[in-house]
Amino acid sequence: MSAARLIAPHWLPPLVGIGSGVLFLAAIELLVRAGAINRFIVPLPSEVAASFPRVITEEDILHRFAQTAWECFAASFLLTGFGVALGALMHRVRLIRLACETWVAAFASAPLVLAYPLFLVLFGRSTMTIIMLAFLSGLPPVVLKTVEGLAATRRVLINVGRSFKLTPAQQFWKILFPSALPTIFVGIRLGMIFALINVVAVEFLINFGGLGQVINELAERYDLPGTYAAISFVMLVSIVFFIVTERAERWLRS
Amino acid sequence: MAPALSASDRVVPVPLAEPAILVVDDLVMRFATDDGGVTALDHVSFNVRPGEFLAVIGPSGCGKSTLFSVVGGLLGGYHGSVAVGGETISGPHASIGMVFQEESTFPWRNVVDNVCFPLEIAGMPKAERVDRARHFISMVGLDGFERRYPSELSGGMRQRVSMARTLASEPKILLMDEPFAALDEQTRLLLGDKVLQIQQQLKQTTLLITHNITEAVQLADRILVMTYRPGRVKRIVDINLPRPRTSEIVSSEAFGRYVAQIWSDLREEANRGMIDDEARKLHAHDPQEKRP
Amino acid sequence: MAEIVTRAPAAKPWFSGVTLLRAAIVLFALVVWQIMAVSGLFYRGVVPSLPAIGAALMKLLSTGDFYWNLWVTAEEIAIGLAIGGVCGVVAGLVIGGNRFIAQAFEPYLYYLGPTPKIVFFPVMIMWFGVGGGSKIAMGAVSCFFPIALSVAAGMRQIDPVLIRVGESFRAKPWQMATKIYLPAMRHPIVNGLRLGLGVALIGTLLAETKLSNRGLGFLVIQAYNNFNMPLLYAILVVLFVLAIGVNTLVARFARLDEIKQK
Repeated sequence: MSAARLIAPHWLPPLVGIGSGVLFLAAIELLVRAGAINRFIVPLPSEVAASFPRVITEEDILHRFAQTAWECFAASFLLTGFGVALGALMHRVRLIRLACETWVAAFASAPLVLAYPLFLVLFGRSTMTIIMLAFLSGLPPVVLKTVEGLAATRRVLINVGRSFKLTPAQQFWKILFPSALPTIFVGIRLGMIFALINVVAVEFLINFGGLGQVINELAERYDLPGTYAAISFVMLVSIVFFIVTERAERWLRS
Repeated sequence: MAPALSASDRVVPVPLAEPAILVVDDLVMRFATDDGGVTALDHVSFNVRPGEFLAVIGPSGCGKSTLFSVVGGLLGGYHGSVAVGGETISGPHASIGMVFQEESTFPWRNVVDNVCFPLEIAGMPKAERVDRARHFISMVGLDGFERRYPSELSGGMRQRVSMARTLASEPKILLMDEPFAALDEQTRLLLGDKVLQIQQQLKQTTLLITHNITEAVQLADRILVMTYRPGRVKRIVDINLPRPRTSEIVSSEAFGRYVAQIWSDLREEANRGMIDDEARKLHAHDPQEKRP
Repeated sequence: MAEIVTRAPAAKPWFSGVTLLRAAIVLFALVVWQIMAVSGLFYRGVVPSLPAIGAALMKLLSTGDFYWNLWVTAEEIAIGLAIGGVCGVVAGLVIGGNRFIAQAFEPYLYYLGPTPKIVFFPVMIMWFGVGGGSKIAMGAVSCFFPIALSVAAGMRQIDPVLIRVGESFRAKPWQMATKIYLPAMRHPIVNGLRLGLGVALIGTLLAETKLSNRGLGFLVIQAYNNFNMPLLYAILVVLFVLAIGVNTLVARFARLDEIKQK
């Protein structure tokens, strides 16, 4: 290892990263054209790119995206409301917290989405199934982070409230809750990400809904380039969603 | 001038001309610990007159912070009583305003919203409370910083915001627990100046808990010297420095004499505290040691 | 006003408020379930009675068929975890070891991690066929990301002085890896594996429910298709108990190891 290390300009690593990705795709392109890779298993990247416009218009991607987005939004709304309320309850009543916190943590690691056939029976092949599964999967992190944030309120701030003779309700809304908000948002963000992942996964599995269903349909039609295109699109949406929520969290922390 | 040193460890409050606004009567506070129990406050009694500035000084471990919490109504389970304006307290009292030692501004509110807090709780309409808050913000010398957030201010400025917030509730008694402990000496002197001005302007009854002798002599009308654990009133010293005062008083001869006198009282207690602390640390690391 | 303020907590009997509350919650849930089952409010069979589920559970656990499928699934998960785990550890070591590489390539892991990997399943089928291969691939892809990220983060929190010790003895790269990096990163690796196990489990089982003719996932879908509700609930109960149980065991093992090291 050389002792002197050159400090790379800050734009170089991302360039190398993205550049490698492009090179990788180019290599695939060449290998498939040469016949080294079976083109019925891996389509030409250029074909995949070319199929984007077709997929967007034929499959009415915008409408599908809106459907997935709506399901995500509904699930997020539910998990935020119930999650924060449950977390606040658990914090307020110490016995409940002691009894249930480990259960919630265990529930977080439980593969709830595996029960989707059960939800199919309960709610049918419908939006309700998707929303319920996403909501329940995203609930635990919100509850846990809410409890954590409220419990971490600095003692002196609570004493300030006591010295001004605040009622318990005032103490909660004016001191505990604002203090816990950054942590609560971390939980909500985690919950929303779990919700999106589960929404798309369940759509795919039950062949109903928005983007997940599109991938399933294209795959069943053996439309290779289309399938790859749709998968790439879903990945893109996921990544954008992740970045947007990350920015929002950082803004809230400042 | 300064009374001669005496060995008496119980001080009887002298009858006053005007009725005292704060009466602490025979306060005893014990805590149960692993090795038996500890008496934090041992028959502490004193009065505070309206408009008076009383400083309570003592070594670490003398129960000052316990006294602060008890008078502020945050701590219960003690013998004796604390009365404000004739009324015995049983929890935080509306007439007592507290300023804490730690960082206590609300980081999610800007300066004016922080200071408005007690007024908001009391249900004052918005225009009126902002007006009132601005008055106190100006009083602590933070004009122009109304819209700033605590994270943008220095430690000293944040303590001033906490002070303005408490003052805005216009308490009869201002109770402060080492509010300048985290600040450097120069800032302390200047803020002490500020506190003096405010106290003199408002004729605010103030009870200040501190371990800093200079600060106590600079600000107080009387100083209560406490012993090391169990905390008792060792002596009450009248500070007959002229009023109105400024921070320049610290360079006067009389000031120096008061400081020296109080230090000679304190030194003995501080020494006992240090020896006791070291002994405890020694025993804590020795597993063979048998506990009595 | 009163007496001595005690700070020592009272001794906690096992028969404590916490245990009572938990027992009460479980009891309440079971009672509500049974009421819903016999009430006739729901479409027949959607909420089977507790005895029916119990019977199905007994029947399930006593057939060899179940254990054979359990073995199939366990095998798939284990192989998937092994493949994804090894690739993840290697990728993590490489990325965590070099700052430039980390800045260039870690974003791929970080941003592709929280995505619904199950949508890759059709591709896995094309590449590995409709048998166990595609399920193993699904598990491997799922667990690769959390493991690689955990290992990369673990690399960065190694005490630099340990690395300098290795360099001072002129250890070769593979020696550095096995004798210094890996032992120093036990905890992040075990934690990464625990996360990886969780997602590998989900990925493999979901793939089995989508397209398979064996494994636990297949049993779930088969029960659903036959509308055998008690059996469906029974299999799900077993699945959840196993999943949470394995997760708890690994977590406890990780913590035990930590305590031993102190």
